[in-house]
Amino acid sequence: MLLPLGWIFVASLQTEAGWSASGYAQVFTEKAYLKAIWNTLIISFWVGGIAVVIGSLLAWLVTRTDLPLKRTIRALVMASFVTPPFLGAFAWTLLAGPNAGLLNKIYRSLTGSEEALFNIFSMEGLIFVMALYSFPYVFSMIANVCELISSDLEDAANILGANKLRVALTVTLPLAAPALLGGFILAFLHSLSLFGAPAILGLPASLHTITTQIWALFQYPPRLDLAAAFSVPLLLATMLLIALQKKILGRRGYSTVGGKGGERRLLRLGIFRIPALLLVLGIIALSVFLPYWILLKAALAKAWAQPLTWDNFTLENFSFAFFQYGDTQDAILNTFKLGIATASAGTVIAALIAYITNRQLFWGARYLTFFALAPLVVPGIVLAVGLFLAYARPPIVLYGTIWILFVAYLTKEMPIGFSQAETTFKSIHPELEDASRILGANRLGALRDVTAPLARTGLIATWCFIFIGVIRELSASILLFTPKSKVVSVVIFDLKEEGQIGVIAVLGILLLLVSFMVILAVQRLVKREVLATRE
Amino acid sequence: MATVTLEGLTKRFAEAAAVHDLHLEIGDGEFVSLLGPSGCGKTTTLRLIAGFLQPEEGEIRVNQQVVSSRSVLVPPERRNMSMIFQSYAVWPHMTVFQNVAYGLKFKKLPGDDPGTRVEKLLRLVHLDALKDRYPAELSGGQQQRVALARALVVQPQILLLDEPLSNLDANLREEMRFEIRRLHEEFRITTIYVTHDQAEAMVTSDRIAVMHLGKVIQVGTPQEIFERPKTTFVAEFIGRTNILSGKWREGGKVDLGEGILVQVSARERYAQGESVSFCLRPHNVALSGSEAEAEQRRRSGYNLFPGVIQRRIYFGDAFDYMVELPAHRMALRVVAPPSQRYETGQKVFALAHPDHCVIVGES
Repeated sequence: MLLPLGWIFVASLQTEAGWSASGYAQVFTEKAYLKAIWNTLIISFWVGGIAVVIGSLLAWLVTRTDLPLKRTIRALVMASFVTPPFLGAFAWTLLAGPNAGLLNKIYRSLTGSEEALFNIFSMEGLIFVMALYSFPYVFSMIANVCELISSDLEDAANILGANKLRVALTVTLPLAAPALLGGFILAFLHSLSLFGAPAILGLPASLHTITTQIWALFQYPPRLDLAAAFSVPLLLATMLLIALQKKILGRRGYSTVGGKGGERRLLRLGIFRIPALLLVLGIIALSVFLPYWILLKAALAKAWAQPLTWDNFTLENFSFAFFQYGDTQDAILNTFKLGIATASAGTVIAALIAYITNRQLFWGARYLTFFALAPLVVPGIVLAVGLFLAYARPPIVLYGTIWILFVAYLTKEMPIGFSQAETTFKSIHPELEDASRILGANRLGALRDVTAPLARTGLIATWCFIFIGVIRELSASILLFTPKSKVVSVVIFDLKEEGQIGVIAVLGILLLLVSFMVILAVQRLVKREVLATRE
Repeated sequence: MATVTLEGLTKRFAEAAAVHDLHLEIGDGEFVSLLGPSGCGKTTTLRLIAGFLQPEEGEIRVNQQVVSSRSVLVPPERRNMSMIFQSYAVWPHMTVFQNVAYGLKFKKLPGDDPGTRVEKLLRLVHLDALKDRYPAELSGGQQQRVALARALVVQPQILLLDEPLSNLDANLREEMRFEIRRLHEEFRITTIYVTHDQAEAMVTSDRIAVMHLGKVIQVGTPQEIFERPKTTFVAEFIGRTNILSGKWREGGKVDLGEGILVQVSARERYAQGESVSFCLRPHNVALSGSEAEAEQRRRSGYNLFPGVIQRRIYFGDAFDYMVELPAHRMALRVVAPPSQRYETGQKVFALAHPDHCVIVGES
């Protein structure tokens, strides 16, 4: 972690001639590079804004009103959360590409116009797609807060003479404000570090962002110094934003929103109930229904743009992807190997750190938390640049093997794994272990008899989260793969260049299916646990 | 059976409550409560005794053998103690039977085989019918009894209880106090009981050690603690009380000013004119409306406080009066039986025996 980041700073100051800051100078003076930075800021800003509007609206509707089908909607938001943005972006090229895009074709056949209605290969298109896959972050954050604001707090203002609008403006909104701002920053950060969507939608329109620019600088002839120089501002921006977010949420964060008990009444939507539901379903159609449908269609059709009839139906894409095309076979194998290895190693390490810090086993244990969470501030592509610089040269040469991907994934997923494991151990009261000790078990015995069985479910969930994170990873993989170590996400990206749409769809569906199966398994496991230990 | 000696025990903490130079002697088979407000270090003391924490100074001896000190720390599992935790710490993944049987895996006891022993104890705490249930299927009180059975089945030398009743509702709490005392009388295990509830400590304990800011302030039987508190802190922590201040006068008297001279009971003598305080429990004050009667009681040795009823609260089984004394606008709280009814603004005479006016030190 420290080594790769150190190398970035070193490399950013190195040129063939020796030490200089020319890399930075070039990045901050050349017009194309400045443009990329500017694009990134504009895009992230809009994505953040739209994601907050959609995410908080949905969260409010789901938590505080009598909207029908809430559970289904939550599940569908979860589905957009799980969908890798590069896959969503790919699906949207099929839906709204200017020439062959399905929605545009329908529009043309309806109106007879020659023009395309949408052009997804544009700044607007990119913002639109990225917002679709960023809003779930805001959603989960706001939904949490909305569930914590008790109606009592609002009633208190009500009874003091404030009307509904005043209550909303003076109580509810200020209570939710830190979370709204936090959600904006989260969505902003997410789009800042995305690589897949901007590469798929932006590059055809010669629209560069920081991440695609870094990637381009890695292509032949590689300009590592510039890539490194580019990484530094991205890294600093991420650090700054995360610090800012922490500050905003920390000061008046959720905890004060809490308060015990306090039921939450649901607002009656009345005649707006059905329109609200349609609106919600419309948003979800854009992020889930339409993309999934087009992927399925593309996977099963000989010609994806034609209607799916018996003549057009084929399983060719599946057999090609799984049995004939050598690259995909290896990639699938690599992806699952890496997924299982990273998830297993990650869970063990995360559990160890979480246990040690939770029980304060030795002095300074809490500093370990910092190391486990630190990768959070490093965007995937920056991590990849650092790892490449650190491990493509002696003494440790990992580049060219799948081990460099393993290291990248392990680092990248550690914060998620750690948070999950920490929650698990926090929920196990230390007195449970103490009780076992005082009755005669030694430290290991207590761990075996009490802590391990109680932590099992939580740690399996940790494993699954890491696994899902790994199999969808693109932004670090894209710089670190070699022909011998391809993974599914990279193959999808490559096939895009070759126009193998059917095969991409097949691989995309495979990723989604595996992810959903894993999530479902976790949910069943957790539900069983909740039932067994409910008070 | 065992004695426990805490000598000069010190443990410093950044966040949790600390313990400073704590001394306490617990006899064989005795039930001692550590009583104090939250943050006074009582739970820390208990965890030191259990061996979960190591003291920085001082030592803990069990039967005169050092088990904890700066250099020695016998691990909890080899102390032959049992503990009942505030959260009960009943293991959710084991049945009631498995929970109770757990300790016997590590400890071979003569006599009955482990199964019979567990059954016996479950009968004792009235849980024999629920032995195959999981803790999640039990009420709080039942979980509490599982914890109790689990702690007792191993026949510990010493039993430690950390606020075991604080998570129960009021009725159950009262019932469990007596249950704990009954079990103590049955087994006579040396017991150390941590609580912040003075009524709990009164009912269960042979002796109470009142703690404040990491130190034991007073140790004594419940009666001694209640009737002869050493400091204002102890007096105010245990039950409701009046604290009155004045100047020390010859012959064991306190001058409250305005001509009110109170005969008090004191352990030591003070210098003439020194500021002192004494405590007087509200139920140890009698009220009288007749000056003649009051004068007569005064002559038989009672202290007399003329005053005016300032406010009255009806409690069903008693009246709670606030009597304003002329001296320094002082007020006296009095609890009187419901038959003694006085109106607000009425002139009354409050009477208190010198034995009940107990000099207390500054906390």
